[in-house]
Amino acid sequence: MRAGVFICECGGNISGVVDVESLAGHARTLDGVVEVAVNQFMCGTEGRALIADAVEERGLDHVVIASCSPRFQGPTFERIARELKLGENAVAFANVREGCSFVHRDMPDKAQEKAKRIVEGAVARVRHQSDLPRQRTFLHRSVLVVGGGIAGMTAAEELSGAGLDVHLVEREQSLGGFMARLAKTFPTEDCAMCSLAPRLTSTAVDGHIHIHTLTEVDELTGPPGEFRVRLRHKPRYVSEACVGCGECIAVCPVKLPSHYDLGVCEQTAISRPFANAVPSTFAIEKKGWSPCKSACAVHTSAQGYIALVAEGRFEEAYRVASEPNPFPSVCGRICTALCESTCSRGEVDEPIAIAGIKRFVADTVGPTLPVQPAPVIHDDVVAVVGAGPAGLTCARDLAQLGYRVTVFEAQEVAGGMLRTGIPDYRLPHDVLQREIDQVLALGIDLRLGQRAGRDFTVDGLFDQGFKAVYLATGLQKSAEIELPGGDLEGVTRAVELLRELNLGGTPAVGDKVVVIGGGDVALDAARSVIRLQQQRGIDPDVTLVYRRTQVEMPANASELEEAREEGLKVEFLVQPVEILSESDDEDAAGPGQGPASRVTGIRLQRCKLGEPDASGRRQPVSVEGSEFELAADTVVFAVGQALVDDFAQGCEGLAIEGGQIRIDRETMMTTREGVFAGGDAAAAGFFTAIEAIAAGRRGAAAIHNYLRGERLLPVWNEVRDTARPSAEELDGIEIGQRVPMTMVDGLVRRADWAEVGKGYSAEEAVAEAKRCLNCAVCSDCGSCARACPSGAIDWDQRETTEEITVGAVILATGHRQFDAARKIPLGYGRHANVIDQGQLSRLLSAAGPTEGELFRPSDGAVPKRVFMLQCVGSRDVTSTGNAHCSAICCLFATLNASLIRQHYPDTEVTIGYTDLRAPGKAHEEYYRLVQERGVRYVRGRVGEILEEKDGSLRVHLEDTMTGRKHEEVFDLVVLSAGLEASDGTRDIARVAGVQTGAAGFIREDHPKLRPVDTQRTGMFVCGTAQGPKSIPDSIAQAKAAAARAIAMLSSGFTMTAAQVAASDPAVCIGCGVCETVCPQKAVVLTTGADAHSIVDPSICRGCGICAAECPTGAIQLGGFSDAEVLAEATLR
Amino acid sequence: MTAERSNHDRTTAEPSGSTHVTGDRSIVAFCCRECAYAAADASANARTSLPPSVRLVLVPCTGRVSPLHLVTALAEGADGVMVAGCLLGQCHYREGNFNAVDRVAFVQRLLESVGVEPERCRMFTMSAGEPPKFVAAVKEMDRVIGALPPLQRHDTSMSEDAGDAAEPAKAAVRTRAATPAKAAAATRGAA
Repeated sequence: MRAGVFICECGGNISGVVDVESLAGHARTLDGVVEVAVNQFMCGTEGRALIADAVEERGLDHVVIASCSPRFQGPTFERIARELKLGENAVAFANVREGCSFVHRDMPDKAQEKAKRIVEGAVARVRHQSDLPRQRTFLHRSVLVVGGGIAGMTAAEELSGAGLDVHLVEREQSLGGFMARLAKTFPTEDCAMCSLAPRLTSTAVDGHIHIHTLTEVDELTGPPGEFRVRLRHKPRYVSEACVGCGECIAVCPVKLPSHYDLGVCEQTAISRPFANAVPSTFAIEKKGWSPCKSACAVHTSAQGYIALVAEGRFEEAYRVASEPNPFPSVCGRICTALCESTCSRGEVDEPIAIAGIKRFVADTVGPTLPVQPAPVIHDDVVAVVGAGPAGLTCARDLAQLGYRVTVFEAQEVAGGMLRTGIPDYRLPHDVLQREIDQVLALGIDLRLGQRAGRDFTVDGLFDQGFKAVYLATGLQKSAEIELPGGDLEGVTRAVELLRELNLGGTPAVGDKVVVIGGGDVALDAARSVIRLQQQRGIDPDVTLVYRRTQVEMPANASELEEAREEGLKVEFLVQPVEILSESDDEDAAGPGQGPASRVTGIRLQRCKLGEPDASGRRQPVSVEGSEFELAADTVVFAVGQALVDDFAQGCEGLAIEGGQIRIDRETMMTTREGVFAGGDAAAAGFFTAIEAIAAGRRGAAAIHNYLRGERLLPVWNEVRDTARPSAEELDGIEIGQRVPMTMVDGLVRRADWAEVGKGYSAEEAVAEAKRCLNCAVCSDCGSCARACPSGAIDWDQRETTEEITVGAVILATGHRQFDAARKIPLGYGRHANVIDQGQLSRLLSAAGPTEGELFRPSDGAVPKRVFMLQCVGSRDVTSTGNAHCSAICCLFATLNASLIRQHYPDTEVTIGYTDLRAPGKAHEEYYRLVQERGVRYVRGRVGEILEEKDGSLRVHLEDTMTGRKHEEVFDLVVLSAGLEASDGTRDIARVAGVQTGAAGFIREDHPKLRPVDTQRTGMFVCGTAQGPKSIPDSIAQAKAAAARAIAMLSSGFTMTAAQVAASDPAVCIGCGVCETVCPQKAVVLTTGADAHSIVDPSICRGCGICAAECPTGAIQLGGFSDAEVLAEATLR
Repeated sequence: MTAERSNHDRTTAEPSGSTHVTGDRSIVAFCCRECAYAAADASANARTSLPPSVRLVLVPCTGRVSPLHLVTALAEGADGVMVAGCLLGQCHYREGNFNAVDRVAFVQRLLESVGVEPERCRMFTMSAGEPPKFVAAVKEMDRVIGALPPLQRHDTSMSEDAGDAAEPAKAAVRTRAATPAKAAAATRGAA
């Protein structure tokens, strides 16, 4: 080391106490010192020259400055050393002025000795001072501003003005934040929107500002200057083609409390919060699919037609209901209605009667709408085999796509199982026939009595010129009854019994009938038998036997209830063992004696439920010794159905496996080119009417794709997430009940085949529809899309993510109002006329829902006496945990009170306050002015607010000046709810990794010196995200935050500080303590076997906490290494 | 840097050290740049008289001061050490002074366990705007240490080489680190 010691006299400040020449002499004796000089003012021009000459002439590599505190001239000498190419960290300071001469003026001897020690320390230290690297780092000249309120917009505008690119992210659909909701602003009483709107417009057109609304920040990683941000854009469902005409609002049937108007009025699911919104594009609030839509096999927008019915728009509702389903009247009666089983309203009281509403709409509107033949677009002709729900649906969809379709049906009537399997009292034939006729009216050719394999062959169809064939032949055969006595006379199958009945016959049934099974078919058979017996003039005697309990029963619960009303007897947990005949009594050899013997009874066995099997159903287990007999002359089995495969004759290459036509799940094609299949014949498992309709739709889409040679239509619907109201929302719903449907009395109706349920009247349907909870908000009714003149509705939008890189981040995510409902005695949320200041602002706003008229919520009357209560959720640790003063409420209330007094001079306004605080500029004067306008200020506390019968409010008030307690009645109470960090603020704090403090506000790095810096370098905070403050303060802070970001990024690069921590991987043991303690998160630990810490010098601020915690000394702080500190601290 | 020595200096250098001021107390004050050192400057600029026993060592934050620094300073000549930082909750790096409080408490227990008066190591907090608090702290430290006998050092051969004070410190660090750090490393490896 070749060090020079330069001793400053400081014009006598030092030399007046310390003998500097003697000190210089001592310095010359120190190890490593090759040059010592004294000057009157070492920091002056002469001193600098002295140092420069000495460095050059004596070849100094280190410099010790014995002068004033390094906090004063330290940077000066460090700059000189840098200019002399001594590098970073070449200077040590001996503070002989503040550290010695100034404080020991009365003891020069001691001061002299101490000065020596100080110089010794600096010389010892400087030996360990080595050059420190500084890195040039590139900075992205762009900034992420999170939050599009007044603070965020202001910051964005400042940044843009400095030429930086800005990404302005807002989670709501428009910029504007809380300020956009205010009527006027204090203390000037100028209209909030009038000062906000120009800024909204200028932000919107600013070429440097990229606005991302309906967007959240999901991830924020990387170092300052190069933050990597992942944005998640939520779909708007409206494209930029939107011209903002508002036609959609007029037709949207879904109403919800207005977000923008803070719940004082309603909004529609498609909306734009306010006229000046940026962007001006509307947006649809859509949480996904409603549970009813998800549950439906054809994904009918049940919430959609219900919302339309609630508004009395029956024709539109019919269009929504019939779009995916040609049989709405049928399904309104016989559908298994999974939509109802999953309905969210069922969690509150009873599910919406979705089927009943659908039946009403389809029965009312369906017959009135004429059907025009569909235009033929394509030359290809398609054959559909089977006129059941699957075949007819496929035919309809193909016809609508522009194909000529011919349907072949083996029976003499169309409808398939809908016609032959379901009795008239449940599905009247004329209702079914009407919907079949509407399908055929599209121009579909139906050929009855044409059986595949007998009257024609599939191969023959292709020869005739058909380009594709859809097989929907169903399952026409009943399965065998594998039970002793199954072939006895009087044993029959439910499907066959119903078919005979529905084709005009009268099936023979005995006097005592047992029906085996638990599905819809079993119940249909049982109830038909009751009617057949009644017709024969005997008292119906029918027993239904089911081997599980009512809970496991696949049939509809209401169906069972209706059957019981008609006299059906039911035995649960019972299964058949043997069917008994006359011969059994005579001959112990058992059944099989002769097919002619007749049923006399049935032996049954009781069961209990065992463990669930692979399908999750609990299997019945027979109970030993529980057998018993039941007399019967007819036994009806509702057993499964099977394929009749004669249609396969003359269809080369068609594979049938396991009693089903084999099809490809994606193309719906069989193993034979051009032949498709669906419905019961090609279903794997349990099938219902609506499942068959869904299969028909898939078949049509698949055939269209096949004939056109490309994937034009999705075969399977892309399923969306199911949306439900939250548990809290459900809790808030008043319990009611479903509108009952008028039914014909059980004993009356069993006498004939008339329909059991009479259906809803229009009034009943509307009332029932109004119970809907709008689970998904947007109901998918499609009204807006039909009304939009510019075709801007875009259902295909999906959530997308985007990665951007920015140099700095400004957090301006704002506040939320304290939820005053948490203060239960005040009645907010329970009493209609208790509102908060935000809501009052909406009512007082000229652009608000009342156009500035103050109408109280309960009855729309202008209140004569208004009471405002301050400090609700502020300065209230006991019941809310919020200790802070929300800073703006005193003036916010004063402003709104003033507006009321000016607009309604007859209305008295009283403000109950804790302490009145008006410290801002011109605020005290404004408060005095409003007092003169007649607003009464009472220093008081409120115990409780009670609601009178007329909606007025009895306020229990304690005057804290006089201690007097009294009651007063007011027409309207306005609570000044305090400010808390918004959800956005809480979320971004977590994502960005910045600390939050009281009430969730983001903590600034230093309350005085770094008020807009967070503890993370390059991330700044402004506005109410940092704490409660007024609009001018938010704007000032936003500009400060922008200035910090601009200062950081303006040159596009930066040098890292010299005084930063650095880790030696050879010494580091990877314990990770440094990573834990670093307040800036500048230290990260690598993973793997040789895990060690790495310091990012662009983040490190040089505190050295890591170095002090490091157990091995691997991590050291530049300029303050252990060696440097110890050399100065120990003098040996 | 190169630890090159000037031959000239070597031959003429006197043994340095606090033996020159035998009888005087020697106290090392680690002062943070943001608050305590600023308070010290402010009191000095007001020409407030201070006991000469206390010598200032500048650190960026009291969070930089490790037990090693405190113990080594005592072992190598100081009769007392003090750490002076920002008011609790006002650390410019958030929590460095809380770290320092913990470490001073640790060193006090350590001193007590080897029979040394724990009050030889003290923590003080003040804002930059509170010079009187700094003055009071220094006077308090001077009074307390002055009332104690000089610190007895049984083994003064910790360092033969005045030029490299950090060597024994590093050795001490490695010894100290051996057990807990290895255990920590093992835990991480397992995880």
